[in-house]
Amino acid sequence: METQTPIQTAELVIRNLHAKVEDKEILKGVDLTVRQGEIHALMGPNGSGKSTLANVIMGHPKYEVTEGEILFKGQNVLDLSADKRARLGLFLAFQYPASVPGVSVANFLRRALESVREGYDPNAPAQPNGQMDKRKALPPAEFRKLLQEKMQILKVDRTFINRYINEGFSGGEKKRAEILQMAVLQPQMAVLDETDSGLDIDALKIVSDGVNALTGPNLGILIITHYPRILGYIKPSQVHVMYQGRVIKNGGPELALELEQKGYEWLTGSPDENGEAKA
Amino acid sequence: MTQVLTQGFSRAGVEALSQLKGEPAWMLEKRLAAWDIYEQTPAPLGRRGDLGVMTRVARYKYDALVPYVANGAHANGHQPLPNWEAGLLVQRNSTVAARELDPALAAQGVILTDMDTAVREHADLVQRYFMTGVTPHDNKYAALHFAFWSGGLFLYVPKGVIIDRPVLARYLLDQAGGTNFAHTLIIAETGSQVVYIEETASSLPEGTTALFNGVAEIFAKDNAHVQFNSVQDFGPGIWNLTTKHGVPEKDGYIHWIVADLGADTTLANLGTTMAGSGSNGDIVGVLFATGHQFVQINTLSNHAALSTSAETYFKGVLDDQARVDFEGLIKVAHGAQQTNSYLSDHTLLLSDEARAEAIPSLEIAANDVRASHGATTGQIDAEQLFYLMCRGIPEDQARRLIVQGFFEPVLDKIPSGELRARLRSSIVRKMTKGQQVMDESDWHDVTDQWDIEGAGAEAVAIYGGDE
Repeated sequence: METQTPIQTAELVIRNLHAKVEDKEILKGVDLTVRQGEIHALMGPNGSGKSTLANVIMGHPKYEVTEGEILFKGQNVLDLSADKRARLGLFLAFQYPASVPGVSVANFLRRALESVREGYDPNAPAQPNGQMDKRKALPPAEFRKLLQEKMQILKVDRTFINRYINEGFSGGEKKRAEILQMAVLQPQMAVLDETDSGLDIDALKIVSDGVNALTGPNLGILIITHYPRILGYIKPSQVHVMYQGRVIKNGGPELALELEQKGYEWLTGSPDENGEAKA
Repeated sequence: MTQVLTQGFSRAGVEALSQLKGEPAWMLEKRLAAWDIYEQTPAPLGRRGDLGVMTRVARYKYDALVPYVANGAHANGHQPLPNWEAGLLVQRNSTVAARELDPALAAQGVILTDMDTAVREHADLVQRYFMTGVTPHDNKYAALHFAFWSGGLFLYVPKGVIIDRPVLARYLLDQAGGTNFAHTLIIAETGSQVVYIEETASSLPEGTTALFNGVAEIFAKDNAHVQFNSVQDFGPGIWNLTTKHGVPEKDGYIHWIVADLGADTTLANLGTTMAGSGSNGDIVGVLFATGHQFVQINTLSNHAALSTSAETYFKGVLDDQARVDFEGLIKVAHGAQQTNSYLSDHTLLLSDEARAEAIPSLEIAANDVRASHGATTGQIDAEQLFYLMCRGIPEDQARRLIVQGFFEPVLDKIPSGELRARLRSSIVRKMTKGQQVMDESDWHDVTDQWDIEGAGAEAVAIYGGDE
């Protein structure tokens, strides 16, 4: 596949990716490919660079990519800002989502949905009253219907949408809110960064059910996790292990089981929590 | 019929103005006393190391202004009273162009008139209250006001009368080198209630300036409740110097809601003296400064009686090269026990070149007091911005959402839904640098999205008509 000939399958290809933060290199040559319709798990000890990879895929300005490329739909996304990557169909469920005081979930989600809808043109001039086509403004009723439908799947309380984004949310509420956003925005490639962390077993089931309801031939998923627990609910077809900024092992679902039994030392040769830079 | 005083401020100018208005001698005396204080008071230059707003105010070429320009009564701006308003006053430059009061309220003894008329027809009330809430000694520009005041609103609410719809005043400036010295005097007798909304606007030829120098004196007698709303939305070229002070008596309540959005330069002195036990004076402030706007805000919560309370809460957003100096003072007199007083000022800077300073201070001479103050200044959080952008929202829109969110808690404290909607649309307009008129999706920001508040089209302007 060449960058000059974009293809329409939403495939995420990461090649020899190097990235640093404040002169400290964290990603040291990551290679990874996730195709549309596939579920992959990326595992590894703390500090191996998993969360950095998630942030670099979305274009967090804190990280500087020094080498390699990230292709999505055949297009190199490294020069695109985060909003453009999102509009291309990439999604990141954050491990620690930011709270935005004063902005309600409903307000935010509607603006986000308008942005990612096909044909959206952020530079389109303002239209006179009643002409909303260029900006893809959503009729409120249509939006509410969609939102309610998705909220039911994630067993989200009705009052949730009027609360400010992540403000005062419990750990479980934040994770459910992330998946709710994914359900509303319907990306083609989703990176779930430690979506299982901090969840009790009931919350984990709800979140997993929510993700499973979204899976299908149009959605690729990369689940980043430290613990194999979530993989009992969301079944990956491929498992990758990351260590010290590289993917050091690729395998099938059985690799996750092996890690559960043996721990990471088996692969890394050193104990977990090994003092590597945290991503 | 246009009457004009000669350019510049002088003692002769004060006398000419008073004569032109046919005022009684006691008012001329007050004017001249104020003029003497103005002349004797050096222009305040601010603190060492401040942002220079006071210096800019002091250097303004006051002598290039015309102290009084009459446009002729009812020449312009007359609008019929919409049925949701209790009363209305419109002043253009120096003179009042329109005023109206619901006849049902007039029958209950409510008085709404312009100040010049009040001096003639309600001299007893004016003499008792005028220049007692604010005095020429408060600051040099208040002294200038008392020497040259013209027009403005006089509102008297008799004992026990509750006005359930707002009284509105609109102050306009459209004369290059002109002035608007509107004086507002509100007296709310025992147990009465009134909501007052003041809106300022201007349209000047490019490159010209004009001065708004307004003073408001508010008196809330025992158990009276006055809500004073002010939306300052002047265009470029305006120098906006105001002094507003309220005096609530026993269990009285004066609630200030002020929004400063426009004008080149603003000096706003705003305060309450809790004169009666159990009285209360809250200030809610919204500030949005862009371009080269300079703003100085001085607030005072002056606790002079037993068991009084006050909360001052300001939120400001600054962009471009705007500068805002905020000084908030909580003063508790000896013997003013059981005082509760809070002061906070939060500023969001959208540009590296914008500057804000906040100096809250306390002067406490009693020992049974709960008082606190706090101020924060910060920039848009990079993680918040990234988070919103990760959902497909372009950077400029994401920044707008964050700004809206920043303002939301202060807007939440504004009782009037119409006013909230009005401020939201002003803020949206200002964030888009006026390039963008309110379009459908911005409209959703204000109504459905920003807050599900159900604002109708009439909420964009408080007044039905456009100037």
